[in-house]
Amino acid sequence: MIEVRLFATFREGREKILFLDANTFQKAGDVLDYLDIPHEEVAIYLINGRHAKFTDSIGEGDVLAIFPPVGGG
Amino acid sequence: MRYERQRMMAQIGEKGQEKLKAATVVVVGCGGLGSPVLTYLTCAGIGKLHLIDFDVVSASNLNRQFLYTSQDIGRSKVDCAKEHLQQLNEDIEVVGFHEKIRPENIEHLIESATVVVDCVDNLETRMVLGRACLKKDIPLVEAGVEGFYGWIMSIGRATACLACMGFDQMKPSRPGPIIGTTAGVVGTLQANECIKIILGMEGTLFGRMLQYDGINGSLDAIALQKSHTCSAHGV
Repeated sequence: MIEVRLFATFREGREKILFLDANTFQKAGDVLDYLDIPHEEVAIYLINGRHAKFTDSIGEGDVLAIFPPVGGG
Repeated sequence: MRYERQRMMAQIGEKGQEKLKAATVVVVGCGGLGSPVLTYLTCAGIGKLHLIDFDVVSASNLNRQFLYTSQDIGRSKVDCAKEHLQQLNEDIEVVGFHEKIRPENIEHLIESATVVVDCVDNLETRMVLGRACLKKDIPLVEAGVEGFYGWIMSIGRATACLACMGFDQMKPSRPGPIIGTTAGVVGTLQANECIKIILGMEGTLFGRMLQYDGINGSLDAIALQKSHTCSAHGV
């Protein structure tokens, strides 16, 4: 399984945490497409706490964290 | 008498209160986050507070920036904040810098800091400040807010910074929507984190990001990994 943790506005209309079949997804960007999150709306994408690109490979046991921009003060 | 109730806390006591008094905290940005940060650090008895902000008070600030009143519109934020904070606690030293953060002036502005607290609203300044704090080896408490959401993390040389997470590759965005309560919650968490760092407490947010969700009423922590190729850690 892959654990996907969504934050801020990405939670609206979606679950806060999802568990997805690792065999269904190959790249980080595939999960965005499945969740109907436009790539250009993603500010930060982490795989196991590390900065990731949409083209990075994902696999069993990975924890993904996906954030929109939240930069006000 | 002023600090009697917090001196009763096992984590503070007489020694902890002396640590707070001996500390210098530089707060960059005196807006939505800066209002609770500065208020609680002032009340807690931080010995020296340095305020940095180039802006003046505008009407659109007043839904969240409770350091200011309608009568302050058009006045320098640091001047107004300094007056207010000094009235709140006359025992501490408050110094205001009406300046815009730039790579050329930042190191001088933060060099005396025990802790720096970032309360700015733009990516460019966050990156300049982050690099300078890493270079000077000064702990930095970061946060951001928008709408009902916010986040907070602490940054040091040994732990992940914003550049490690890819913030340096983000596109700058225009000021977003915000309600005062979000800035109040997250700014208060920043002040709490700053106090914990000064006291040398465990459980700080180095290597962790705390996400505040004001719609669902939740806080979630995410472990962060320092990047081996981070441009900011290499400064």
